[in-house]
Amino acid sequence: MHLRSRLSAMVRMMGMNGSPTGKKRRLLAVTSTMVPAIALMLVSNGPSVAAKDGQPFHITIMTDAFNIDHGAPDNPVIQALEKYTNTQITIEWVPNTNYEDKVNATLASGDLPQVMLILNKDGSFINAAKSGAFWDLTPYLKNYPNLSQANPTILQNISVDGRVYGIYRSRPLGRNAIIYRKDWLKNLHLPVPKTIDDFYKMLYDFTYKDPDKNGKNDTYGMVVTSYTGPWDIIQTWFGVPNGWGFDKTGKLIPAQLTPEYMNALNFFHKLYVQHLVNKDFAVMPPDQWNTPFINGQAGVIVDAADRANQIVKANPKLADKIGILGAVRGPEGLRTLGTSGYAGFYVIPRKSVPTLSDLQKVLAFLDKLNDKYAQNLLWNGIEGRQYKLVKGYVQPINTNNVTIHNEVNDLNQLLMGIPTNRYYTTEPTPTSKLVNQVMAQNAKIVVPNPAAGLYSQTYAQQGTQLDNILNDARIKYIVGQIDANGWKNAISLWRKSGGDQYIKEINEDYQWVKKHGHLKYLALK
Amino acid sequence: MSIPVTDSTMKAHAERQVKATSAWQRIRRDKWLYILLIPGSLYFLVFKYIPMWGVLIAFQNFEPWQGFFHSPWIGFTNFRLFFENPDFFRLLRNTLLLSLYNIVFFFPAPIVLALLLNEVRKAWFKRTVQTMVYLPHFVSMVIVAALTYVFLTTDTGFINQLLQHWFGRQVDFLTNPAWFRPIIVLQTIWKETGWGTILFLAALAGVDVELYEAAIVDGANRWQQLWHITLPAIRSTIVILLILRMGSVLDNGFEQVYLMTNALNRDVADVFDTYVYFVGITQGSFSYSTAVGLFKAVVGAFLIWTSNYVAKKFGQSGIF
Repeated sequence: MHLRSRLSAMVRMMGMNGSPTGKKRRLLAVTSTMVPAIALMLVSNGPSVAAKDGQPFHITIMTDAFNIDHGAPDNPVIQALEKYTNTQITIEWVPNTNYEDKVNATLASGDLPQVMLILNKDGSFINAAKSGAFWDLTPYLKNYPNLSQANPTILQNISVDGRVYGIYRSRPLGRNAIIYRKDWLKNLHLPVPKTIDDFYKMLYDFTYKDPDKNGKNDTYGMVVTSYTGPWDIIQTWFGVPNGWGFDKTGKLIPAQLTPEYMNALNFFHKLYVQHLVNKDFAVMPPDQWNTPFINGQAGVIVDAADRANQIVKANPKLADKIGILGAVRGPEGLRTLGTSGYAGFYVIPRKSVPTLSDLQKVLAFLDKLNDKYAQNLLWNGIEGRQYKLVKGYVQPINTNNVTIHNEVNDLNQLLMGIPTNRYYTTEPTPTSKLVNQVMAQNAKIVVPNPAAGLYSQTYAQQGTQLDNILNDARIKYIVGQIDANGWKNAISLWRKSGGDQYIKEINEDYQWVKKHGHLKYLALK
Repeated sequence: MSIPVTDSTMKAHAERQVKATSAWQRIRRDKWLYILLIPGSLYFLVFKYIPMWGVLIAFQNFEPWQGFFHSPWIGFTNFRLFFENPDFFRLLRNTLLLSLYNIVFFFPAPIVLALLLNEVRKAWFKRTVQTMVYLPHFVSMVIVAALTYVFLTTDTGFINQLLQHWFGRQVDFLTNPAWFRPIIVLQTIWKETGWGTILFLAALAGVDVELYEAAIVDGANRWQQLWHITLPAIRSTIVILLILRMGSVLDNGFEQVYLMTNALNRDVADVFDTYVYFVGITQGSFSYSTAVGLFKAVVGAFLIWTSNYVAKKFGQSGIF
């Protein structure tokens, strides 16, 4: 058994495994830049899977997997799901690590599943969507009880030119928060921070006033890594928009060009020179982020609130010492940086779902997956087989039985949670309760990205370089490698390297979307 | 290269014709050898030569969902964009400088080590040292990068703790752009020097012991033996390796540079290999990055050919 799954793991890595149905598979392991081309050449013009009529409706899904074994293709959980949705389901599991390569290869092959997960709204997806490779779902969502309740901000985030091409897998929008040492705050007789100034005072005293009362100068305020997320979160408190904002003339401008951005940047520089953050953050790997906090060296982490769960799991002693705060008040009130709100979305290729009636069947299926019963199947499995309910909470059973356990592996990848997650959960810990509370409150003060659904050809082609110019300059400014002049130079380099064109294209697209009335779902302004 | 027609080339030509007539006979005679050749040839055909057609997407605006046969052809546009890109000269400079550092500081290292090992007379000691110096080659680059971080970071790094203790100051090895190239070269020396000695040691093992004996009789000391016997014996190996190295002047090894790049040293760290990754893989500009890759390959082939030509001019054997 073990060897078999190992083998199938290896085969899967090589991308040449037989799927559960033994369907012919294609070459997909692509690493170099030239190999993909040939891989795509070889797989072109494969036979297309025609949607079958009759009952039950046969549906193929391609999605990402983190496990190797998913039980038998007709295992009881899948059977229950098929019965509930009146379909016959074939799931093509693709390892998450090379999922995007697989998407590109699949798109090129023409042999498409009826439902396909798209992880990122990248250039190749956008081009395919704009050329009509997928159904535009914008007009149809309203006909389905669950899908009609989709969150407008998230729909905007996944949209292309104001059109919605997928059903997103929802994640909390107000996920970003401040995780801090409550006991240190108490030791220093400080109140819970309410404003940016309070936040600064907390970091300062955590660094210089011996918050752990051990008589040693061995603590500092906030731990940051090479991942730039925390800076983005903090600058939002200063009034910096999420990605893009409107200037006085109503034109969209990138966050970096707003005056608030400079205020935030100066604040970060101050934190750095006063040693309130770790000195080598620019090279610190993000996977070591929690370590200084767990060891009691750093007192604050600004990131997703649920990071607190990880920390408490690693060091249970911290359970009653951790505080979580949604945001602190800045010049524009209480604001928090919205996340994208999704972890990939399911699209429906026109090639594999040629008719409107098939589309309706697929959409009805996806809608049903959001019912409480289906969500429970996907998240927990079957009651009495994978779990039992005790006081309304899930208790896993048969955890030693690999066969039963594997039946639900990765099925949660099919969970969309629209409008909400309705499945039963295990009994929450005090920390996870706090996390959920903060995220629910944060949802009300989320700052969305108004340009999330807009498209720029320049950005699609040069986005990484453009982002690097500004991101690198930001870090250099924080550590003092460049000054205000250097920042200005970076901005003008960015403008010249395509930034100006990028701004122009975003604004043109904004006007186009507005003119064509595609803003119905959009939370613009 | 044009070769003047001389008597000897004419003769060689004639001989070749005689051989050609008997080629089929020779194939039949050595059929088992040819059959043994098939798997290897197939490997190169299937995995090297057929995929080579993929470079054609450098001349396309390749869209994965349209596939190779339906993507539009755009000629040399990608190449033009690349050469006009303000990043081009920065990338070229970084790539060449890193290669230069490697050739100057790393390339001689295995030669020196091989010569040192060659002078060791105790066999068990030599073998132990050899095994030890081979080991780093098998350590993944990811581990090497992690070790570098653990040693050099200013927050908790071992070396910076020592510097702080002894001199009261720290050095920002990882974030100061000036340190980027030295650290890359030092990593390479640490990791690959031992492995690089294999070829040289093999060449050294073939040196006739009588030469040394004769030299000793003539009164040559250790240095003279090294200079007049050992080094000439491995000269052709050095030249061949140098020629091959020239071919990869534009390759810096993606993994290592990528792992050591951060926001503060990117100006000196960006090389063609990482650029191809960022543009091609993270941005999905497959055609553009293929054009960059093709440019690299053409320059590499040209450099191999040139250095081979120069080596032959100087009386060395070369690789073809």
